[in-house]
Amino acid sequence: MSPTRPLGNLRVANFGWVWAGPVVGQTLGFLGAEVYKIESRARVDLTRTLPPFAGGVRDPNRSLSNHACWAGNGSVTLNLTKPEARELALALIAKCDVVIENFGPGFMPRIGMGYEDLRKVRDDIIMFSMPAAGLTGPLKDVRTYGLSLTSLTGLDSLTGYTGGGPIPVENAFSDPLNGIFGAFAILTALAHRNRTGKGQHVDYSQQEAVMQLVGPAFMDYAMNGRVAGPRSNRHPLDRAAPHGVFPCAGDDRWISIAVLTESEWLGLVEAMGRPAWAAEPRFATPETRIANLDAIHEQVSAWTRGSDDHELAARLQRHGVAAAPVLNVADLLSDPHYRARGTFIEVTHPLGFRETIYGGYVKTSGFAPAVRPGPAMGQDNEHVFMGLLGLDDVRYRALVESEVIY
Amino acid sequence: MAGGALEGVRVVELGQMVSAPYCAKLFADYGADVVKVEPLAGDTARTWGPFPGDVPHPEKSGLFFFLNTNKRSVALDGSAERGRALLLDLLSRADVLIENQLPQQMRSLRLDYATLRDTNPNLVVVSITPFGQTGPYAEWNGYDLNAYHLTGASHRYCGRPGEAPLEHGTFAADFYGAMTAATWGLAAVLGRDLVGGGQHVDVSCAEAIAATFVGGQNIGALAQDGKWERRTGVGMPLGAPATILPCKDGHVWMLALEPGQWNGLVSAMGDPEWAQIDMFQDMFSRAQNSDVIYPMIEEWTMQHGKFELMEKCQAAGCPVTAVFTVGEAAASDHLQARDYFVEIEHPLLGKLRDLGAPFKLPASPGGPTRPAPLLGQHTDEVLTERLGLDAASITRLRSDRVIR
Repeated sequence: MSPTRPLGNLRVANFGWVWAGPVVGQTLGFLGAEVYKIESRARVDLTRTLPPFAGGVRDPNRSLSNHACWAGNGSVTLNLTKPEARELALALIAKCDVVIENFGPGFMPRIGMGYEDLRKVRDDIIMFSMPAAGLTGPLKDVRTYGLSLTSLTGLDSLTGYTGGGPIPVENAFSDPLNGIFGAFAILTALAHRNRTGKGQHVDYSQQEAVMQLVGPAFMDYAMNGRVAGPRSNRHPLDRAAPHGVFPCAGDDRWISIAVLTESEWLGLVEAMGRPAWAAEPRFATPETRIANLDAIHEQVSAWTRGSDDHELAARLQRHGVAAAPVLNVADLLSDPHYRARGTFIEVTHPLGFRETIYGGYVKTSGFAPAVRPGPAMGQDNEHVFMGLLGLDDVRYRALVESEVIY
Repeated sequence: MAGGALEGVRVVELGQMVSAPYCAKLFADYGADVVKVEPLAGDTARTWGPFPGDVPHPEKSGLFFFLNTNKRSVALDGSAERGRALLLDLLSRADVLIENQLPQQMRSLRLDYATLRDTNPNLVVVSITPFGQTGPYAEWNGYDLNAYHLTGASHRYCGRPGEAPLEHGTFAADFYGAMTAATWGLAAVLGRDLVGGGQHVDVSCAEAIAATFVGGQNIGALAQDGKWERRTGVGMPLGAPATILPCKDGHVWMLALEPGQWNGLVSAMGDPEWAQIDMFQDMFSRAQNSDVIYPMIEEWTMQHGKFELMEKCQAAGCPVTAVFTVGEAAASDHLQARDYFVEIEHPLLGKLRDLGAPFKLPASPGGPTRPAPLLGQHTDEVLTERLGLDAASITRLRSDRVIR
């Protein structure tokens, strides 16, 4: 395993806030980049104020969900309402390869940090903008939350119980997804820069990126004019039966079972002890099983209901059936698979307390992903302003005093 | 694609269905040269619809079309000794392998990472599976559904209490894993000089979601306080309004949390008297009275269309959005103005509309330009160009059913 990481040569200024933008920085950070989130006590990022707090002490440096979502970003504090702070930000950008921002279109140019402004200090800069609906177009200024952004893509219209209306996903699924995938967009621009020496301004519309997930249903619309609706946990293209989540013994316990092939069906029938219903002609072929999906699901539910989810999954797996327990949040820390893979880890925050975050959620044989605990606000101020930008001690203190570095 | 950002990157894909094919498509759509190696019977996705008029045909799957644009297809039997040799030869000249077989399947094909590293130490092997290469579930049979529900996402965030937890009506875990794999895989390619060659990038679709979506928000509270929650069926139970509501012609995502947003909503509703009451001036107390306020708001939304509601609320500073159906998204003037959709000519499907690039790189545009390949369409071309085989050898391999 190499002591260096793939993005060990990359420096990033991250103006991203709330969730999606910070995750872009986090992703590049895992891969070795040096990432500085630029934030300010003048307008504390909302997610730093969310409970629960470490040790129960309410403080913008102690929000546990904030750290778990952001860990890997460094932090410098600059009050960008002040001109000197914007100058310092530009001086930092001059020493960066990438700038990330997830404000509405037009905000960065308004504070003198549009792409053309950035090019003046760093000609080959890669600027990555990720507004909700892109930098141009009639909906460019649309107001959304990460929670509701998916409604613009068609994805929400597919989520719910068969025959009913859409059921909301109760958190911003698209934020971490766009955070991770946004890093891919930056890497493609980096590949272009490696070859040509030229930077560019990436226009990443969160709507368009998330709408890729709607591709299968979109093709049915394009080919057949059919508009899909909510479909419970059925196979997106109706190619499997059973395909769903079935009740198990205990409080709100469930198992997922997906049968796509004939051998999986035979395995399921065997695991169930060859019940008479499974031999009925209407369940004889994949096509007829799919046509009689509701009837199969009723039978399978009756069979799973009394069983332990984990034991049943293991039993079905022994018969070659794709089955797994439906985990609840409490299971995440105790599940043997995530424990074995070190998905969640305990770290010490710069302010001294211990906290649990996720580590490198992708396993790489060539390097160990960089794991850094959630940043304390301004933890990298001295390193960046005095070390990297060369301010002397007196000047630095004065800027802190005047709440420019704040 | 000439001039694409990833021009010069050579990818071999051993992908079935959704995750690895979508990951490799991202490379292809941004300019990499992607050779999709299919078994002689083809990628299973070819047998999945949608098909035009619902008539199955191995070259007319809409899913396969969507997931395989800009690629070349080589059909060979990797379980035959000569087929495996061709595959290894391709891999010895490639930068990246993207695959989604279960780990034991790769081992039985003698394509485990140790073998691949011996063949080409500079190769980045990107494996995308439901559960990952290690851990007690590594060899479990599994699909998108099983991975998604192993994350806590459905149990915590989607469905009515007491009823089945829900996944989005698409291959959400496969796409999440594919995008994650594209990012980490491309970093491994670009960083080969720094880390000293290729490596194995092990992506578990379930782990990516469990960590970055569910874990990020919930793991701190669970670890410190033992606290955890489950789905409620309401968009945001602590603040209101924040959920999907029905309207005259469908649904809207109703959101008005901050005071300015609430005031915007109230004015869009025509300043009804009930909305002026003191206890409705704060998102938390509104949530505590959600059984009162949601029916009142719904009475109003039911009288209007989703786009009218969206326009009115947005203009008043309130982030309400229409719940677009797939058809409405496909007709969106915004997406059309941004050239999000493309039209591609396919030899059997004719002109077909497709989603375009997921993000815009002005200096090195991406997106689908060439249709998904026919099965084995490029077998001869690739074996000739890449491996230098002559026509006689190709004919022999074909008559021996090693290639197609």
